[in-house]
Amino acid sequence: MPLPLGNKSDVDFGVGVSDDSDLGAGAGVGAGVGVGVDIGDHPSSPLPLLNSSGHVAHCGRCLDGLPSSLVEMDASRMAIAFYCLGTLDVTNYAERKISSTDRESWKEWIWDQYVGERGGFRPGPFMGSGDSAELLSETEATTTSTAPPHLIMTYCALLALATLRDDYAKLDRAALARMVGACQDADGGFATMPGGGDADLRMTYCAFVVCALLDDWSCIDLAHALKYIQRCRTYEGGYGQTPQGESLGGPTYCALAALHLVPPDHPYAPAARLQPAERHATVRWLVYMQAEATGGFSGRTNKLADACYGFWCGAALAILGAGDFLDARALGRYLAQCQYKFGGISKAPGEHPDPYHTYLSIAAAAIVSPDPGWELQALDPIINATHERRDGQRRMYLLRR
Amino acid sequence: MSADDTTAEFVLYAERPEWFDVVPISQYENIQPLAPIFYSPEYKDATDYFRGIVKTGEKSPRVLELTETIIRLNPAHYSAWQYRYEVLIAISAPLELELVLTNKLTKSSPKTYQVWHHRRLLLTALRDPAPELMFNEEVLKADAKNYHTWSHRQWLLAHFDQAELWDGELPFVERLLADDVRNNSAWHHRFFVSFERGSKDNRDEAVRRELAFTKEKIALAPNNASAWNYLRGILDHTRMSYSTQTAFAKQYIVDKIEPWDNDVLDLENPPPSSGAELPCAAAIEFMADVHETSGKECIPRAVELWRSLADTHDTVRKRYWEYRIRGAVANSSKT
Repeated sequence: MPLPLGNKSDVDFGVGVSDDSDLGAGAGVGAGVGVGVDIGDHPSSPLPLLNSSGHVAHCGRCLDGLPSSLVEMDASRMAIAFYCLGTLDVTNYAERKISSTDRESWKEWIWDQYVGERGGFRPGPFMGSGDSAELLSETEATTTSTAPPHLIMTYCALLALATLRDDYAKLDRAALARMVGACQDADGGFATMPGGGDADLRMTYCAFVVCALLDDWSCIDLAHALKYIQRCRTYEGGYGQTPQGESLGGPTYCALAALHLVPPDHPYAPAARLQPAERHATVRWLVYMQAEATGGFSGRTNKLADACYGFWCGAALAILGAGDFLDARALGRYLAQCQYKFGGISKAPGEHPDPYHTYLSIAAAAIVSPDPGWELQALDPIINATHERRDGQRRMYLLRR
Repeated sequence: MSADDTTAEFVLYAERPEWFDVVPISQYENIQPLAPIFYSPEYKDATDYFRGIVKTGEKSPRVLELTETIIRLNPAHYSAWQYRYEVLIAISAPLELELVLTNKLTKSSPKTYQVWHHRRLLLTALRDPAPELMFNEEVLKADAKNYHTWSHRQWLLAHFDQAELWDGELPFVERLLADDVRNNSAWHHRFFVSFERGSKDNRDEAVRRELAFTKEKIALAPNNASAWNYLRGILDHTRMSYSTQTAFAKQYIVDKIEPWDNDVLDLENPPPSSGAELPCAAAIEFMADVHETSGKECIPRAVELWRSLADTHDTVRKRYWEYRIRGAVANSSKT
């Protein structure tokens, strides 16, 4: 069976492609979309089961190998690893069932992608050997193209390692801080790679997570970064992916999580706080992303629901202390409908599953708890990690200072 | 691969005499790699040679062909894109030709970050934005809500900031909204053009124009969150009170259209079109906001409207409307 995970979403933590669902022009003039629809749910009736073992199996298959049709994932394999291992973690599988052999060899593969002297991780070995010194040393000084560390992949690798309970003994903290600083552009935003690449709020978020984990904000120009985030705010109340962009679920999560990562005692903390009117508008926009008809969240106004936005919007609401305002059961029902019969979760009912939508759906469920029967690890919405993963990671970093 | 490339039989680089001087480098994988991809022979071959080229640092015309092969197989291969751009600059290749090729790749992979980043690099170097706007509209015809296409357009306008570029934008948006009045990307772009460009437009004039335009579109299709958000956006941006729109909005919270009153047709406040589904939840919310800010004695009317949203017209947000009720009631009892 082919593994159709080349499914695309608006804010893909891969580096490749993106998409989201379209409500389209067909709605017709005057047709109501705001009228209540009975989805046949009663508060007392249980939701369909969460097929955790099926989702774990789906992710296991993806970790084992992807078909050639998914070659576009070549430059974002670390993200796939993060989604798959994250799924294992949130479903309580990681601690209990990953063999120590797997754990050790997976950690080894992730560290193979570490470019120590340049501070971060590559998406995979697609530009050469895992051992950078062996292959690319001759020209690395003269070209920027030999797969330098990538900011999103570095975030994914650090979180994946936390899932595997790594001790980060091989991590060069100072080099990591330098790498994050080198990704910052003149306009305050962050590029995918030191000194270049496309730049948007995904990378700002990843940079802030690294700063928080390192407990070091001196490696970036925080004031400038906060202004960049502000420039991405729109009249709708959400944030666009880049300054002047349309409000979109993923970047809105990235912006809010980034703002909340700034320590309260930091001199710039006041600049990272939303004004009451801003918070009001953002909460409003976020709750409006939940579709009356399906219970799922869409990523933009007048678009169809996509499972991943259950996380981006649901976690954003949780960060704002407004997690109670969404309809958790309706979201849970939608996510349940997106489950594929052989495991994995897709962006919409009837489509093919992929690790991205599988992980984010499960992460969304872990945050909003739609049903007591869905037993999932609690998740920290800000760094997108289970509490155990987060605490372990923080402890390890702080110990190494 | 795009259709125009499939006519000739593809020959592996390993079998091409003109590449014999390059030492291909295989990808190294650990014993137990995570998410390995079962590469096609063509992709493996091309990337083996690409790694070989990068190792020696060669920047020559044949590298353009090689990177194009890889990009067509995997448009998200950012190293191939990046090295390609370095080669273009190193050998002073004509960037106009590169843009023609990139046009094709953009149309075949319109949702790939790298293709748009490459366009941006080319446009920055070429400094010829006018044709780019036309190309952009062409891409939007295939997908009128592609986020990348819109971001690129907004970057282009802001980066070059030329009056003649801005001038066509409102008519352009109107064409798109005529096709689909619920296209939120077009509404967003309209806001960007009307209020956020470094324009010297008369702002009062822009506000009047935008209010009229928006209300006309709401009359046509009242249950359109994009248009209501836009109306709120104008008012918030210019710090106008929502109550200035009471006469307009209250026509949309009734159960059915009022009998035609042919004495007064208020052109500034168009009524819902016939066939509109009423009441309109967005209008109910709007009027509740008006009441909430109109003083303590109006809070019960706001509460009543929120209640109707929570119980009947917008039940998925029930908890949100109940939160609004609690907040307004608590505030009014405080003062």
